[in-house]
Amino acid sequence: MNNLQESLRGKMPGSGIEVGKSICTICDPQTQCGLDLFLKDGRIIKVEGSREHPYNAGTLCAKGAALRQYVYSADRLRTPLKRTGPRGSGQFQPISWDEALTTIAAKLREIKEETGPEGVAFFAGYTKYFRPYLKRLAHAFGSPNYLTESSTCHTATAMAQTLVFGQPGGPDLKNTNCLLVWSANPFHTNPGNARAILRGRERGMKLIVVDPRQTPTTAQADIHLPVRPGTDGALALAMAGVIIGEGLYDRDFVANHSYGFEEYRDYVQGFTPETGEELTGVPAERIRAAARLYASVKPAAIMPSASPVVHHTNGVQNYRAVFALAGLTGNYDVTGGNFVRPPSFIYAPGLIPTREHQFTQCRPWSGMAPRIGADRFPVWTETAGGEAQAMHLPYQIRSGGPYPVRAVLGFGMNYRMWPDSQGVLDSLAKLDLFVDVDIFMTDTCRYADIVLPACSSVERAELRCYPVGYIVFTTPAIAPLYDSRSDVDIIYALADKLGLDDPLFQAGYEASVDWILDPARITVAELKKHPEGMFVPNPMKLPEKKYLQNGFKTPSGKMEFKSRILEKYEGEPGFEALPVYRPPKYSPGASPELAREYPFILNTGSRLPMFVHSRTFRLTWASSLRPNHPAADLNPDDAARLGIGQDDDIRISTPKDAIVVKANLTQMVQRGVVHMYHAHPEADVNLLFEGDYLDPLSGFPGFKSALCKVEKVGGGGLF
Amino acid sequence: MKKEIILVANLCSGCGACVVACMDENDIYPEKGQPAFRLVSKVEEGRFPDAVIRYVSAGCRHCADSPCAAACPTGAITKNPDNGAVLVNRELCTGCHNCAPACPFGVPRYDADGRMLKCDLCVDRLAAGLEPACVRVCPLGALRFGPAQELTEQTERKFAG
Repeated sequence: MNNLQESLRGKMPGSGIEVGKSICTICDPQTQCGLDLFLKDGRIIKVEGSREHPYNAGTLCAKGAALRQYVYSADRLRTPLKRTGPRGSGQFQPISWDEALTTIAAKLREIKEETGPEGVAFFAGYTKYFRPYLKRLAHAFGSPNYLTESSTCHTATAMAQTLVFGQPGGPDLKNTNCLLVWSANPFHTNPGNARAILRGRERGMKLIVVDPRQTPTTAQADIHLPVRPGTDGALALAMAGVIIGEGLYDRDFVANHSYGFEEYRDYVQGFTPETGEELTGVPAERIRAAARLYASVKPAAIMPSASPVVHHTNGVQNYRAVFALAGLTGNYDVTGGNFVRPPSFIYAPGLIPTREHQFTQCRPWSGMAPRIGADRFPVWTETAGGEAQAMHLPYQIRSGGPYPVRAVLGFGMNYRMWPDSQGVLDSLAKLDLFVDVDIFMTDTCRYADIVLPACSSVERAELRCYPVGYIVFTTPAIAPLYDSRSDVDIIYALADKLGLDDPLFQAGYEASVDWILDPARITVAELKKHPEGMFVPNPMKLPEKKYLQNGFKTPSGKMEFKSRILEKYEGEPGFEALPVYRPPKYSPGASPELAREYPFILNTGSRLPMFVHSRTFRLTWASSLRPNHPAADLNPDDAARLGIGQDDDIRISTPKDAIVVKANLTQMVQRGVVHMYHAHPEADVNLLFEGDYLDPLSGFPGFKSALCKVEKVGGGGLF
Repeated sequence: MKKEIILVANLCSGCGACVVACMDENDIYPEKGQPAFRLVSKVEEGRFPDAVIRYVSAGCRHCADSPCAAACPTGAITKNPDNGAVLVNRELCTGCHNCAPACPFGVPRYDADGRMLKCDLCVDRLAAGLEPACVRVCPLGALRFGPAQELTEQTERKFAG
């Protein structure tokens, strides 16, 4: 073997191999890892994490390491397509970009003239980099209906914090001495946070982890609170009972900066560690110990999760009870506590001021019709920021009220995101126009009238900020494959075809980014000199306890144990002004008769390390790590009782529907709970949920606690 | 001193990044029936919520005594004295599979022609002063590359008591 062959085999720079820089956006919760792409003749032959990137420092997770299969998947869409057969048939014919965009623009203008611009819904799924531009497109067009995947992810967690504090505060991992992780497993979802936990442990940080499962995160903990799904509120209230009862709360903060403490204290008295144990399954002694530890070590921080706690019909109330603990102990907006960092761009605090909000909200709400779901989810509409609630989209398409929704322009849309996913398809079939922009031919694309091919992160330019004050505007490492385009190029081309009188759409993408970044005095031209990213030149210096100057952004101006926003809904179940605990709608506590026939708690979507939603199912490098998938995780004791062995076929059923999957037996999960990962094309667990199994405050589905039955398939006989 | 791949077991979360990075480095495609060189397994003891759950990422150990090499009748398997890697000369391999039962860890794999394949310690990367691909990717620093004695002492100090 000569030198050239050797260096090619080792896939190292030199001998015609170059290194391109980009970021990975296969997962997208503020974690875009820096990438080194090894390029040979314009083709990626290997992927590594960039050493200089402050988030991932040379490493990757199993999903990002599989990026080469993602980019070169045989399922990539190659050209714009027009549907020629029935919806779902997958029969399409290629059309030109010009024909596709002209057809779409003509139909959208027609709808706008006939029944109003609000009849067009603009939906953003994954990834998230194009969201600001799509929101501006919706509003510039005149539609209030910009909706996103965040209608089931993270926003309700932010809502809960907003109701309590007026604005969310994230855990200050670097400085905290006690971290209370509430239902997150960063060891499988966010390695940067996992590394921060390990560093914290090295310097003596205490660690409490609430999780219905045993995970690599709970394995690191001083105390693991193995909560029964959907009972987080009861656990938090029982902890508050200990903290107040033993006088461990912050009297100064409570007296001077809070609202509604007396009523909260009276309500909390109903929750002892023993009642907590009864309601949550967590041993009373662990509740007591966790409460004492969290309240006595200063500073202490709560690390919330994006969705597990709010994927319950009582989710926002539960998380309000959890975040109230940060107020009770005086840990809000302090160094090492839950520190407030204002978001810079696409949810990420980047230590720079930007004009993102002014860019996206280019037309005031008062100048548009009410958003989809505005009446049904008024608390969402008031506190969730600038979006319609997508869970109501299928309902409004079907009912036509208060106004008809006739077209959906979807980017990275997956109908399996919704409960009653089949009902979503039935609704989409009623549209005059359904456009889906995606990178792959997905099952959702098969129902679209027009399908547009998007490209991956390494084929485009995108702006991202990072909490450490790092910023990147990526350069395409390879040209868009086939006839694909970036989502942003599609948005700007559509704005042009629609003839929108919008100066920033007319000025173009990079000019828009310059406009957004203007307050930070950073330009695209400067960013392009640093394709790997750079530290921001003048990072904002943020003081702690900013509320001392400005008060809290709540109606009372204080931290609210009792929500002034929710006081308006007095008497409505689920809208209580105190963080009242009610068991999930379908649970042994709330629906005992149903629980007799459907004795298992069904918990869906708990993360596995190789998957993020449906995005890596088609990558054999990722899927080979769980070869029996689609499989549900079941405790071996439950399995033995039901005569179920490893990899047996099992049927999981609810009154609504049933799916058949493999049984994966593991002590990671507690007895009585079955965990099924969501969105699998061959076993879509969302078929098992009713479309209105939602939290009335947020509209979030109760994906993490319904009731189900588990049976062995084909068991019971000899043949 | 020779460097080895070491797993700091209590840092491994079983995420599988090492398995994928190895497949990317070595062009291994499961859909073509090509098995991975590196495997991650989970070991559970006890019952929820107090079970002890451990993850192990394992590939070829590049053993000092290399029983696979001893079992090979054609001399296709040799241990490189410079970097310690146990390597297969595929031109000499006849596909007899004698190495399979000789290996106590089940490492040898075989291609469609029956010839042996396994982890080569990323010797091309080592020659360029880089670490193996599985070590580079590991998001928690559980896989490390260095002189075995030194790494073991480091981790024992860090996790003592």
